[in-house]
Amino acid sequence: MTQTALDITKQVNAMKKRILLLIVLFAIHPQFALAEDDSVSQVSEDDYIGDVPRVLTVSRLSQPLSDAPSAVTVIDRETIRASGIVDLPEIFRLVPGFYVGVNAGYFHSTNHAVSYHGMTSAYSGAMQVLVNGRSVYSPLYGGVQWSELPLAIVDIERIEVTRGPNAASYGANSYFGVINIITQHPSEAKGNTVVATHGDGRNEAFYRHAGKVQDLTYRFTTGYREDDGLDHRNDFKRTRMLNAQADYQIDISNNLEFEFGLTDGARGEGNINEDAVVFLPRTKQIDNHYELARWRHNISDTSDFSLQAYHSFDRSDDKTTSVNLRPIADALLGAGAGAFLLNDTITIKNPVETERYDLEAQHNFAIGNAIRMVWGGSIRRDSMYAPHYLGTKRTDYFDLQRLFGHVEWRTYEKLVLNAGAMMEHNDFTGTDISPRASINFKPSPSHAFRLGISTALRTPNYLEEKFNRSIAIPTTLPGPNNTLLLQLYADKGNVDPEQIISREIGYLGNFGNLSLDTRLFHDTITDHIRLRDRTDFVTPPGFTLITGVDINSGTNEGSANVDGFEAQAKWQLASKTNLLFNYAYVHIRETQEELKRNYIDSMPRSTVSALLTHRFDSNWDASFAYYQTSETTQLGDGDPVDLIRKCDIRLARKFNSGRWNGEVSGVIENLFNDHYQEFADYNTLDRRARINLRLDF
Amino acid sequence: MINSNAISKFFLNKLACYTLIIILFLPAWAQAYTGVTIVLSAPTTTNLEFVENFKMELIATKNHNLKVKVIDLQETEKLVVAENSELVIALGVKALTAASKLKHTTPVLGVFTPMPAFNSLLEKSKRDLDIFSAIVLDQPYWRQISLVRAILPGAKKVGILLGSTSSQNSEFLIEEGEKGGLSVEIENVNQESELIPKLKKSLENNDLLLAIPDPAVYNRETAQPILLTSYRYLKPVFGYSQSYVRAGALAAVYSNTKDLAKQAAEIAIKTQLAPGLLPPPQAPKYFSVQVNHQVARSLNIPIMEDDEIYKRLLQFEMMQHVEAR
Repeated sequence: MTQTALDITKQVNAMKKRILLLIVLFAIHPQFALAEDDSVSQVSEDDYIGDVPRVLTVSRLSQPLSDAPSAVTVIDRETIRASGIVDLPEIFRLVPGFYVGVNAGYFHSTNHAVSYHGMTSAYSGAMQVLVNGRSVYSPLYGGVQWSELPLAIVDIERIEVTRGPNAASYGANSYFGVINIITQHPSEAKGNTVVATHGDGRNEAFYRHAGKVQDLTYRFTTGYREDDGLDHRNDFKRTRMLNAQADYQIDISNNLEFEFGLTDGARGEGNINEDAVVFLPRTKQIDNHYELARWRHNISDTSDFSLQAYHSFDRSDDKTTSVNLRPIADALLGAGAGAFLLNDTITIKNPVETERYDLEAQHNFAIGNAIRMVWGGSIRRDSMYAPHYLGTKRTDYFDLQRLFGHVEWRTYEKLVLNAGAMMEHNDFTGTDISPRASINFKPSPSHAFRLGISTALRTPNYLEEKFNRSIAIPTTLPGPNNTLLLQLYADKGNVDPEQIISREIGYLGNFGNLSLDTRLFHDTITDHIRLRDRTDFVTPPGFTLITGVDINSGTNEGSANVDGFEAQAKWQLASKTNLLFNYAYVHIRETQEELKRNYIDSMPRSTVSALLTHRFDSNWDASFAYYQTSETTQLGDGDPVDLIRKCDIRLARKFNSGRWNGEVSGVIENLFNDHYQEFADYNTLDRRARINLRLDF
Repeated sequence: MINSNAISKFFLNKLACYTLIIILFLPAWAQAYTGVTIVLSAPTTTNLEFVENFKMELIATKNHNLKVKVIDLQETEKLVVAENSELVIALGVKALTAASKLKHTTPVLGVFTPMPAFNSLLEKSKRDLDIFSAIVLDQPYWRQISLVRAILPGAKKVGILLGSTSSQNSEFLIEEGEKGGLSVEIENVNQESELIPKLKKSLENNDLLLAIPDPAVYNRETAQPILLTSYRYLKPVFGYSQSYVRAGALAAVYSNTKDLAKQAAEIAIKTQLAPGLLPPPQAPKYFSVQVNHQVARSLNIPIMEDDEIYKRLLQFEMMQHVEAR
C-alpha cells in the first residue's frame, strides 16, 4: 500500500527550497510563531497521527451506479427539499416507472398507492420497502402504510430505489423494485430544528434535537401531523410520531446503533357513498412502534461484520356498527323478513395486531481491489392477530429464513461482473432460490452499458393465503342453520409464489453537464397471484350462505410480459439551474387469457416527471415540478382515470441571523387547479397551497 | 500576495547572515556528538518503530560511532542527558516539552511534532532555532496539492476548512493551490456548530475536500460526520494521515516512521561534528502515499497504482523545483 521515498539528490535540492518556504512561514508571519495560546500548545501528535474511527467501511460503501447490477435512482435531501412534498410517497413520482396515486379508499387503503410498473392494487404489495435496513412492508396485504411510518421527512438523508427485481440482495418481495430509505446519521445534524407546515387541509409541526454525549451521538424527532384528506372523503389522518436514533462508538472499529419509533393516531375510515349499511364512516385508531439495534464491527480495512435485530409492532383498532338492518331485509327479501333478524344492527370488531422479529447477520469483504463480496443470513417471525380477516382468534405465525450472497468482480477497469442469489424458506411456500447476474461494460469512465438478468419471487401475503373474512347475521329463523353468512374471503391456501424474470439492457452516460440513465427491459411474470371468486366454498354448519357475492380466494392464474423503456436525465443547465427529467414507457401484455380485466391498464403507458430548480442567490431559490401520467385503471379499488398533468411550484428563502438559521417556503400544488382524478374516480384533487417554516438553532 | 521567490532569496541571504553571526558570536563550539538520546513521550508502537528504524538507518549508512540511548518519559520523570555531547531527539510533544527544559546548549530535534506545537514551545523555551529544531508532522501544502492533481487531474476547485489554529495559513494555501492550477476555497470554522453547515457549503461548491490538520476541525469526534457527509455528496476527502485514509478519506500523503527516521538520521549524521548548527525546522522530506481503493471504487474514481501516484508526486516536486529556479 505504501511507498517509501527514494533518496534522490535532486529532490533534496528541491527540499531546500521548501524548507525555506517553511522558514518564511515561521519567520515572516510573526503571528505564526506568536499565535500562542493554550489551544495551540495543546495540539499534539495524536491530532495528526492518532487513530480515527473507521467510518466508510466496506459495508457502508455502495457500488457506483455504473457498477451496480440494476438501475438505481437516488433521491437526495436536496431533491426532497426542492420538490416541496409533505407526504413521503409523493417523492416516488420522481422515479422513472413509478405510479403514485393519492387514494382515499376502503379498508386499510386510505393510503397512497405506490407501484412500480403497475399490476398491483391499492395495497402495492409487490415492492420491498426498507427504512435503514428494516423491512416495513406489511405481511397482511404486502404494502406499506406510508402515513404510519415513524419517520419525518426532515430526517431522511436519501432514498435509493432499485428499479427491477433485487431478491438476491433484499429477498422475496423485492419483486418489481426496492425502496431503501436512509435517514441522516445522528452526527450529521446537531442542535435543534423546528419544521412547521400550514396549508390547505394540512397542519404539521416537528421538533428535532440532536446532540452528543461523549461517544454517543443521538437524535430524536417528534411531531404531529393533521391531514384532512380529500374533499368529500372520510380519509382524515391525525398522527403523533416520535423517532430516536443513537450511535455509540465503542472504539475505532466497533459501534452500536439504536433506533426507536412510535406512531399513533386516528384515521378516517369508511365512506357513505360506497357502503351506507355496515362499514359506515368511522374513526380508526392506530398504534405502532419499533425498536432496532445494530452492531457494526470493522474486522479490517477490507472486511466488516454487522448484526442487526429489530422488533416492530403495528396495531389498528377498527369497530363498526351497521344501520338498522330490518328495513333493509324487508326491502330485499319481502315485508316481514326483517322481523326474523336477531338484532337491529350488527357490530364488527376488526382489531389487527402484527408483530415482526428479525435478526440478520452480514459479512462484507473485499479480496484485493477486484472482488467485493457480501453474504449473510436472517431469520424472521411475523405474527398476525386479525380475527375479522383470518376468521380465527388465534395468532398466526409466519417464519422466514434466508441465506444470501453477492459478489462483484471487477475483472479489469472496464468490465464489472455481478452475481448473487438468495435462498429462502418460509411457511407459506417452502424453499426457493432467486439468482441474478449482470455484466457492466465501461468503454470509458463516462459511459457504461449493463446487461442484466434478475429473478425474484413474491410470497403470497395473508390476504392471498389465509384470509377467511365473513360477516355473520344471526336470525330467529327455525332450523339449525339460522345464521346468515356473508362470506367475503375464503383463501384456499397453498398459493405458489409469483415469479418474475427481468432482463434488461442499461446505459449510463455523462455528457458534460448532462448525466443519463436509461434502460430497456423485458419482464416475464408467471404464476401471477390474483383473487378469484371461489365456487367450491362449503358453508360451515350453523350458517346459511348469502349468495350473489364473490367469495375471494388467492390463486395463481395468468402470466404477463412487461416491456418498456425508462430514462432519467440530470442536467445542469446553468451553474445555479438544474433539471431532473424522468420518462417511462411501460407496456403490460397478458400472455394467458386469465390475466384479463385491467392488468394491461394497471400502469399508465407513459409517465413523465420533471423537477426544475433554480437558485437566484444565496437566499432565494425556486423549483417547478411537472408530473404527467397517461390514462390508467388500477387494480383492486381502482377506476379508469384520465391523463393527468400536474404542476407544482415552490419558492423558498433562507435566512441566517447568527444563532437562528432557517428557511421559509411556499408551495402550490396543482398550480392550474385541474380537478383531476387519481387512482379511483372518488379521489378528486384540486389546487392546494402550503407554507413551510424551518428553523435551526 | 507574497512573492515567495523574492522572499526566499531574501531569506537565503538572511540565513547566510545569521549563520555568520552565529559562527562569530558563539562563545565556544560544543563538542561533537558521542551519541543520540531518543526521548519517547510514551512507548507507543509508532515511537518504538521510529527507534528501530533510526538505528537501522545508522547501520545502513555505517555510522556505528553514534550511540543510541532511549529514555521513556512514562518510566522516568527526569531526563538524564549528557547535555553537551548528545543530540536529543524528542518523539512527540510531551517529549519535546521535557527536552525544551534542558540546558540551552543541548541540541534538540523534535519529531512527531505538529508545527503549531513546535512554534509554541520555541516561544516558551526562548531557544534558538539552530539548537532547537524539528521535523514537523505537517506535510507541505504543495505536496498535498500535488496529490490532488495526481489523483484527480480533472479537479478544479478545492474546498478547505480551517480552524482557529490553521486559519492563518489561508493565504498560503490559496497561493499553493494557484500554483497547482487549483482554485482553493476556504471556509473558516470558528465554532463547533459551524462545522457541518460550512462543510456542506464547501462540498456543494468544490470538487473535493482537502483536510488540513487542525484539532478544532479534524479530530476523533468529527471524523464520522465529516466523512459521512462528504460521502453523501460523493466528494472525496484528501486526508493527512494514514488513519484518516483508513477511516474513509480517499488518499493522503504522510510520512511514516521509516521516512521520518531516515530524515532524522541524516540530520544527526550531518550535524554530528557541528552540534550547534541544527538545520531549521523542516517539513518531512520523505513521504508515502496511502490510497483507500474501496472508497475510490465507490466514488467511481479511477486510480492508478500506488507507486505510479508516488512517482507522479516526485515528478511534480521536481517540476516545481525547476520552476522555482
